[in-house]
Amino acid sequence: MSLSLSSVKISLSVIFVGLLFTHVSAQAESETEAELWVVLQKAAVAARALSYEGVFVCQTTQKTRAVQIRHLFNGQSEFSRSVVLDGSPREVLSQGGELVIYNARNKDIIIEKRRGQNMFPAVLPVNLDAVKESYTLQASIQERVADRQTQTLLLLAKDNLRYSHKFWVDKEFGLLLKSAMFNQQSEILESIAFNQLSLLNTVDLDWFKPKIDRQKNYVMEDEQVVSAEAKFPVSWDVKILPPGYQKTDQMMRAVAGKPYPVAHVVFSDGLASVSLFVEPVPKKAHVKNRQTKVTLIKNGNTSFYASEKNGYLVTAVGEVPEATVVQFANAVVVNAADTGVAKLP
Amino acid sequence: MSEQISALIDDEIALEDAENLLGMLSANKQAQDAWAHYQLIGDAMRGDGLLRHDFKKNLMQKIELEPTILAPSASKLDTTQTIAKGMKDFKERLPVTWSIAASFAAVMMVGWMALQHQTQSDALPAMMELAELEHSEQAIPAEYLIAHQATAPSTSSYYMQSVNYSE
Repeated sequence: MSLSLSSVKISLSVIFVGLLFTHVSAQAESETEAELWVVLQKAAVAARALSYEGVFVCQTTQKTRAVQIRHLFNGQSEFSRSVVLDGSPREVLSQGGELVIYNARNKDIIIEKRRGQNMFPAVLPVNLDAVKESYTLQASIQERVADRQTQTLLLLAKDNLRYSHKFWVDKEFGLLLKSAMFNQQSEILESIAFNQLSLLNTVDLDWFKPKIDRQKNYVMEDEQVVSAEAKFPVSWDVKILPPGYQKTDQMMRAVAGKPYPVAHVVFSDGLASVSLFVEPVPKKAHVKNRQTKVTLIKNGNTSFYASEKNGYLVTAVGEVPEATVVQFANAVVVNAADTGVAKLP
Repeated sequence: MSEQISALIDDEIALEDAENLLGMLSANKQAQDAWAHYQLIGDAMRGDGLLRHDFKKNLMQKIELEPTILAPSASKLDTTQTIAKGMKDFKERLPVTWSIAASFAAVMMVGWMALQHQTQSDALPAMMELAELEHSEQAIPAEYLIAHQATAPSTSSYYMQSVNYSE
């Protein structure tokens, strides 16, 4: 009896020591990851708070473009001008989050206004809380990029509903020098990297203007947003909605070729974004095509899914795996009772 | 001539020259086009609304009622770095909310009426487009891709057209 008691004691203490050990090692690991998150956070801020100029190359599965960038933070505001050096002329001027794209299209220059917060190298949001929910962070080996030493970090998706990323961060300035997006098979889907970079020591803004081509017509792009309606005809089943994604925007918008406004909702996990579009299926087409049609397309890092649901066409598109757009479309609930869409011709 | 027009817009021209130039402007079609282009570029750069001045305000009030998902918190940063001050300045002026893309996009709804008018005549039923797609070789329908990237641009979409025009 006493023997068995002491053996119980021994085994208990072994378990206790074991628990203590795992606890300590787990803490050490989490501290390391916390430090890595600080590196990433600094990279997010450095891209916005430093002044620099350089050339980077943006590569997708379909195209490669070299871009010349100049970015200035004068203590008050951020200014940047990015000039695309290959293909058709294009440049992006941004002030804070507001940007204007000058986009050559045949004989015209189309002026497009956007709101954006993720131009390279500022691809990371300053607030990484949402990102932390869906990704883990690991340190990788040191590498040299654009003649500078970098620390590399792997931002790994916790599930198969988003892509993973690798970031190369300048060891001295904390600036992001290179980023790559890859899938579960480790295939690179998109990469952007500086070829050369230097810090700027000026507050001059004489460069902050587009190059004007006098042979071209300057035309403002047709605007598409109809309203940010309070009463929105679409909701979603939160149980089906892919985890980690939050709604960031919703509106009624014009979509080229559609006779009526389309409901548009945007979801984001902090890095990846998915758009959901909901519109009534035209009556004629509805009668003609009785069986439900489904389309799933993947193009580089972008997935597209469209399906019919109770007389509505639900479309999901985003820079995410196919499973994610399908899941988003399936989560949609059309509130037919109070839908403004249904009442439109 | 174009340089003079540019100077006129920037208010960098003598008064008597400006009078001459305005006279020429009213007579010369090419000069009028240049004038219109420079004004448009200027408007775009300044972010001038082409709508009534209170439109954005009203819209912002509506958006205020929307739940905000992401708000940057004051984050902890190592302030011993040389760049720390710049970062601090930057953080202090971060907007409280940043996900209200609608506020910017919606001010630009000029042309909606024209667009609506235009699309009524040449609209294709959505399902018919999809039916065609199922047979053709698989490109993501440009209208949805453009709408998605207009509101939630991916990093590469700033530098590449989602649709080819004459590239």
